Amino acid sequence: MQYSFELEGQALIVTLRGELELHTSPEFKETLTKLFETHSHVTNLIMDVKGLSFVDSSGLGVILGRYRELQERGGRLFFVQANPQIKRILQMSGFQKISEFANSASDVLERI
Amino acid sequence: MTSTNWIKLEIPSDTRNVAFARTAVALFASQLDWTLDELEDIKVAISEAVSNCVIHGYGLQEGLVKIEASYSGPELRIVIEDFGRGIADIEEAQEVGFTSFPEERMGLGFTFMHEYMDEVLVSSQLGKGTTVTMVKRVRDSES
Repeated sequence: MQYSFELEGQALIVTLRGELELHTSPEFKETLTKLFETHSHVTNLIMDVKGLSFVDSSGLGVILGRYRELQERGGRLFFVQANPQIKRILQMSGFQKISEFANSASDVLERI
Repeated sequence: MTSTNWIKLEIPSDTRNVAFARTAVALFASQLDWTLDELEDIKVAISEAVSNCVIHGYGLQEGLVKIEASYSGPELRIVIEDFGRGIADIEEAQEVGFTSFPEERMGLGFTFMHEYMDEVLVSSQLGKGTTVTMVKRVRDSES
């Protein structure tokens, strides 16, 4: 799996590519946690999942864990460009209750 | 060509092999006439079952995971077995949100298996291991 990060004000934009699952999620978790520690002003997490080809409960658990960290800062979680399969598993996992879906990161940045 | 076929895999309980297992079994399953979404569903279900073997069955330690996949006509059957710790309470383990690692796990593995497959049967013995049998049938596109 590949991922990249971009800081925009109080938002951290994470672009994911590949598969987020049991083997790939620990490193991703560690990287995100360090970024949250380093950039304590970040309150909004924007996950660009256009290039995410597969996610399961191991990957979703990592995202949920980071959301909980953000929640303590009063932050919000966004998913952008989720394909129908990814959107379905996110909705089945209850992410629609704690996050918002958008068409692009720039749409979210205008909104927040 | 017969309408039956099968494969058997034996893999070490290594996190790297979860992706291999789901890809290999999905490739086998693709011999049947699934939609792309259904094939993705099958991959998620396999991923959850094999991840359970690695995390819960063997606690991320060394162990053997056996996978058998077969079909007869439109019915795909996948059996995933470990010889690890076993599950004390199978009913509780399949409840939505149940997890023995609440910090990072969502407790949705069995939920996804039940959602994405037509049948899921779990048998387990403490100290001996766990077997998950999953069945999914190709829908008749005319119905």
